[in-house]
Amino acid sequence: MISHVFLLLLLPLLAVFAITRRRRLTAVIGMGLFSLILAAVYLLLNAPDVAITEAAIGAALVTFLYILAIRKTGRLVVAGNETPGLLYREGDKVLGVEQEILNGFARHLGLELVVHFDPEETIEGALLQGEADIGAGGIFSKADERLLQSSGYLSTVLYGLSLHQARQPPRGTTRRRPSYFMDLVEEIKAGQCPRARLDLARFLSVSRLDLSAYRVERLPGSFSYFFIVSSEREELHGQLNSYVEGLKESGGLKKIVRRYFS
Amino acid sequence: MRNFPLGMAVFAVILVGCLCGVLIGGFGYRGAVDEAGAAYLLRAVEDTGAANMVSAIYLNYRLYDTLFELLVFSVAVLGVRFYLVGRNEEQVGSIPESQVVRTSADLLFPPILLLGIYLVLFGHLSPGGGFSGGVIAGTGLLLCAVALGAEVVARRFHEGILERLEWGVLLAVIILAIFPVAMGRVPLTDLLPTGRLGQLGSGGSILIYNGLIGIKVFIGTWVIIHYFMRHRGEI
Repeated sequence: MISHVFLLLLLPLLAVFAITRRRRLTAVIGMGLFSLILAAVYLLLNAPDVAITEAAIGAALVTFLYILAIRKTGRLVVAGNETPGLLYREGDKVLGVEQEILNGFARHLGLELVVHFDPEETIEGALLQGEADIGAGGIFSKADERLLQSSGYLSTVLYGLSLHQARQPPRGTTRRRPSYFMDLVEEIKAGQCPRARLDLARFLSVSRLDLSAYRVERLPGSFSYFFIVSSEREELHGQLNSYVEGLKESGGLKKIVRRYFS
Repeated sequence: MRNFPLGMAVFAVILVGCLCGVLIGGFGYRGAVDEAGAAYLLRAVEDTGAANMVSAIYLNYRLYDTLFELLVFSVAVLGVRFYLVGRNEEQVGSIPESQVVRTSADLLFPPILLLGIYLVLFGHLSPGGGFSGGVIAGTGLLLCAVALGAEVVARRFHEGILERLEWGVLLAVIILAIFPVAMGRVPLTDLLPTGRLGQLGSGGSILIYNGLIGIKVFIGTWVIIHYFMRHRGEI
């Protein structure tokens, strides 16, 4: 009798646990536990047939189906261009100011953050085709009108780099800007980059190199880093903006930035 | 509790509390000893040869009701298929699962399948039956799908044949049970002789119906899972 009452008291506790979780996976596991304990209750009430069905459907099958659904919808997919300090990899880990902001935002929405590193020029396409939710990676300008920009989270300035003696590129080859920052760094190191426009985060990383072959100037104007979202995702855009603003007001953003740039 | 309406939480707690109260109150309840219940208890073993009273009732006395449950399940499977076919079919390359998942799926699938078959075959002797055994076997297939990818499993188990088998089984059940009713007779519940109580063959036609329902539910569960995976999710 005591075990009956104990198990029955667990049921409402687990139900409340499941419906108050923000993380969906935790909620689903709470529901699976609920079903399992309900099956035990049925068993104690001399209904083994019902208990078997409850365990098979409630605890196993439905939990599986929910997990499948979460794998599809419970993720915040970020297409990012690798940028030192803002969004970068170290081994398996993704780090950076933007990672911390977006991770906090994903938790706020009850989602899992997934970061895909893409070359700069494919990010906008990925957003427009719905393959990613948010574009990131030191973005300070956008061209496409079908994209919305979030409010800026950090102000920046631009630096122009140009070779003192610009060499003519070999004939027949069209020069294009490298897709990845690391390739650009290699070019600059080798003294083969005729001109480049770098934002502060990237410039700080490059400034450790020997830049004696280049003329460095600060470009006029003030910019700020932001995230981009497809214009069809207005709700997400609003949520992201209010999250970034809230982070700015609470001073949490300053702390994050200080951790990476000090 | 952020962003969660307090009223909803209070309502949920009250609802679950009431449910639990009913269940606690039900502990004093020891089964219906009214006339029908008593009659079943006295005569079920003799009539049906099944030791499991639940199976005796829903596959013999109440076989006609069970048929409609089977039809409800079939319509649900049909509905999933109908509404998902042609809808953003994704050619998702299977995500390579970790070795842990694959190994545990390999280890767990045979026992799960065996448990499902056991529940189906011994449904008239011990707890279980076609519905629960079929769902358990289907869930085992889902485990394989998580480890290997849904399309691989669908190919390996010849899904096309399975789907035809599913409808064949439904047809067989209809012929066995509904057709006699349409002819003005009772559903066929005496296809096999009832043997000695406790033997595998003792349940008479309950064994046949459990087997058919088990196959039907097994395939139906897999079809539902597979269609959801293919059209609404990824694996």
